[in-house]
Parts: sequence; structure tokens; C-alpha cells
Amino acid sequence: MTEVFVNMGQISSFKTQGILTTVGLGSCIGVTMYDAVAKVGVMGHIFLPKSRAKDSSAPPGKYADTGIPAMIDEAVKLGARKSRLQAKMAGGANLFPNLSANSTSIGQQNIEAVTGHLDKHGIAIIGKDVAGGHGRKMRFFVDSGIVTVTAIGKEAVEI
Amino acid sequence: MAKTVLITDDTAFMRMTLRNVIEKNGYDVVGEAGDGEEAVSLYQELKPDMVTMDITMPKMDGITAIKEIMKIDPQAKIIVCSAMGQKPMVIEALSAGAKDFLVKPFDAERVVESLRKIGS
Amino acid sequence: MNEVKLDFLKELANIGTGHATTALSQMLSGRLFQLVVPDAQMLPFSQAAEYVGGSEQVVVGIFVVVSGDVKGHMAFLLPLDSALVLLRLLIGDDSGEIDDLARSALQELGNIMITSYLNALSKMTDLLMAPSVPGVAVDMAGAVWESVLAGAQVTNEVTVIRTEFFADGESIEGNIIFLPDDDDFEKIARLLGLEDV
Repeated sequence: MTEVFVNMGQISSFKTQGILTTVGLGSCIGVTMYDAVAKVGVMGHIFLPKSRAKDSSAPPGKYADTGIPAMIDEAVKLGARKSRLQAKMAGGANLFPNLSANSTSIGQQNIEAVTGHLDKHGIAIIGKDVAGGHGRKMRFFVDSGIVTVTAIGKEAVEI
Repeated sequence: MAKTVLITDDTAFMRMTLRNVIEKNGYDVVGEAGDGEEAVSLYQELKPDMVTMDITMPKMDGITAIKEIMKIDPQAKIIVCSAMGQKPMVIEALSAGAKDFLVKPFDAERVVESLRKIGS
Repeated sequence: MNEVKLDFLKELANIGTGHATTALSQMLSGRLFQLVVPDAQMLPFSQAAEYVGGSEQVVVGIFVVVSGDVKGHMAFLLPLDSALVLLRLLIGDDSGEIDDLARSALQELGNIMITSYLNALSKMTDLLMAPSVPGVAVDMAGAVWESVLAGAQVTNEVTVIRTEFFADGESIEGNIIFLPDDDDFEKIARLLGLEDV
């Protein structure tokens, strides 16, 4: 089965089968959307909550506000129905807590932004492994819809 | 009686390194502070002969701690031990009342030299 | 990629890492020491994680906020095996584990490397560049890297200075990442006599 790596700011998808993987989720959020009936799966790796004017040439997947709609579009293009899409999230960790002691960490801001945009589009979040202080690896098996999350020194968990 | 020293640094590793050097050279480390706030309260409690002070620390930085300690004891003997060797910082520390400024990493001899000079 | 800008960065890299290396060699007093000329690169955002050694490789990352006349961030990243070599040389620990003391030693090491680098720049420009208390993370390179980039709100290009040290016959790799806020990068360049950078 083909495995595709989704790097920071990218969005990738498969229909019927394939593995979508993103490694090294720190403060970023790995988001998956799945239409279990059409067997269409999309994965995004979101870097920051809001797109910025000075980064106008950025791929839409870099920011939560442009990334979530872009992921929905990609899913629909492959034959998914928006109403059937369900999401899972991993990441949003805070690896350097002392550096954001007086404010909300980027990880937390990302969690809130992604959750907010998914809610706005009526997409239910049916699994998540977020926050904490460690990095994560996320794998999405499109044939079954299974998503696993691994951290160093820990067993893979299904979310 | 051996002169007493209070060590202040936010990393356990540096406190351990300094302690080794200082004790090996005949001084008595009577306390260790992990931040400026702790340094000030330990100074009042232990009344050490000398203090080593880091600059970049959480809760209260070294410059503020120097000022606070000097308020309590204008005769306090404080030696700064910091990686931050930029001129404005050195000037600020010395104006606040520090007697010497050692830039990390320093060799053992330099530390001892400073303790001997300031301690007498 | 601007040729002039890159040359300028290489110059900064040479000066800064020269000081940082002197500092490092002093910390490991008595060891044979050698510096390989540092390689400065301006990497597009997306390539950065791979450059530091591949997303899944475990690295030690030390991250600071810089304030004063120049504002921004700096990080020092090294692969775990390089960190373990340094720990063995610094505290005689060859357990291969990162306990509290080891973490503390790495924090101090990163602090000294980063601050030495800033001290060198400060001397050249007369600008104050004060680092914060460092944060330390031991985790997958991708995770550490993106946390650094997000924390620094990086837009596009990242300056990475790869250095290699040799101590006691062992090779140690380290990456210094310098992330001044946009306007401040220009401030430094102008003060060092570079227009149009």
C-alpha cells in the first residue's frame, strides 16, 4: 500500500486505500477527514491558526483558517460528501512551556483554531490526541479509517 | 574559618560545577539558589561572605537580585557568573553593585582568583 | 536567494560560531578540539526539518527568545547521539539516558552556545541582544523544529548554520538557528555596512 508523507503545510488524500502519514507534530496539528462510505481520506498538517498577509504565497494547508476549507474541497473532489465527513486531530503540544508562560501557547491556539473551524463546517471530531509536551507521529489508513498516534517511547494508540 | 559562598544559577549542572570548584579551593558553599528571588531570601537567612550570581534566570533576574541584596546589605560581595557578556549588561551589573563579572564558561582559576580578590 | 544576503549570513556564522566554539571547548577543557568551517544556509520553510536530520530522528533542541535592541529567537539543535557524546565529555555520563542532570547540562550548553553567538554579534554591532532562560526539548526533529518555527512565527526562510565539532576523536554535530524579527535582521545588516540586504 502506498504511503505518502504529509509535511508542514501540505494536504494529501487517497480514495479507497493508502496510508497518509505525518511525522513530527509538535505545536502543529495533524488533521484527518474521512468519508467512510465513499472511502475518501484527507490529511493536513497545520502550522499556525490564522493566515498572514505577509505570507500570501503560502499553501492553504499551512493555516487553520485556509486549511480546513481546502481539505474539505479536496475530499469532495475525490467523491466525498461534506455531510459524511468526520475528523480526527493530533498534536498541538507545547515542547517549550517556559517560553509561553504568560500567554497561550501556539499549540493550544492551534487546537482551538482547528476545533473552531471544524465546528463551523459542521464536521464532528470523533478522535483526538492533543496538547501535552511531546511530539507525535500520525498515520491514517484510508481503507479502514483507522488513525494511530505514536510518541517516542510510547506505544501507538488508536484515536 | 572558611569563607562562605552562596551560589545562584538556574541550572543544576552549573551549580554543581561551581560548587566543585569553590569547595576544592577551600571555601564553604552554604547555599544554592535557583533564581534571583531565592538568592535574596537565602542571603538574608544565611548571610554568606560572598555570592555568585547568574543573570538570566526565571522569576527574578540577576540584576534585580543584585539590587535587592545591595539594599539589604550595601557591603555585599557579589560576583556575576553569566554567559551574557555584552557590554551594557556588564556595566549594569557593576553599577548595581556587583564586584566582578565572569563570562561563562570560565575556567576554575578565574573563579578562584575572583573569590580571593573580592573576599579579602 | 540573495547572494549578498547569503554571504552576509556566512560571515555572521563564522564570527558567531567561532566564539561559540571557543566557549564549548572551554567547557570541555583538556580535550582536543577542532572546528569545521560552518555552513550557513537559508532554507525554505518546508525543507528545514529534513535539513536538521530527518523528521523522525530524535534531537535535543534548546530554544530562546531574544530581546533588547534586536528581537527574535534562536535555537540550538543537535542530534541525540551528538548530545550523548557531549554529555559523556561534560559530566562523564555514558548511560545514554537524559535524566534531570543531563537535561540541565544540555540546557547550560545550549545557553552558552547561543549567548556566545549573540555576544559576538553584539560586539560587532553594539546592539544589545539578550537571550531568555532557555527551554529544552528532547523529541522528534520535526516536532522540535516546527515548535521553534511556530514560536518564532517564521514566514518563509530560515537561517540554519550547521557546525561540526570534533572532541576526543568523536564527531559532534550542531545546528544554530538564528531567527531575528524581519526589521531587526535589516538593522544588523545595515550596521555591518550592508545596504540592500
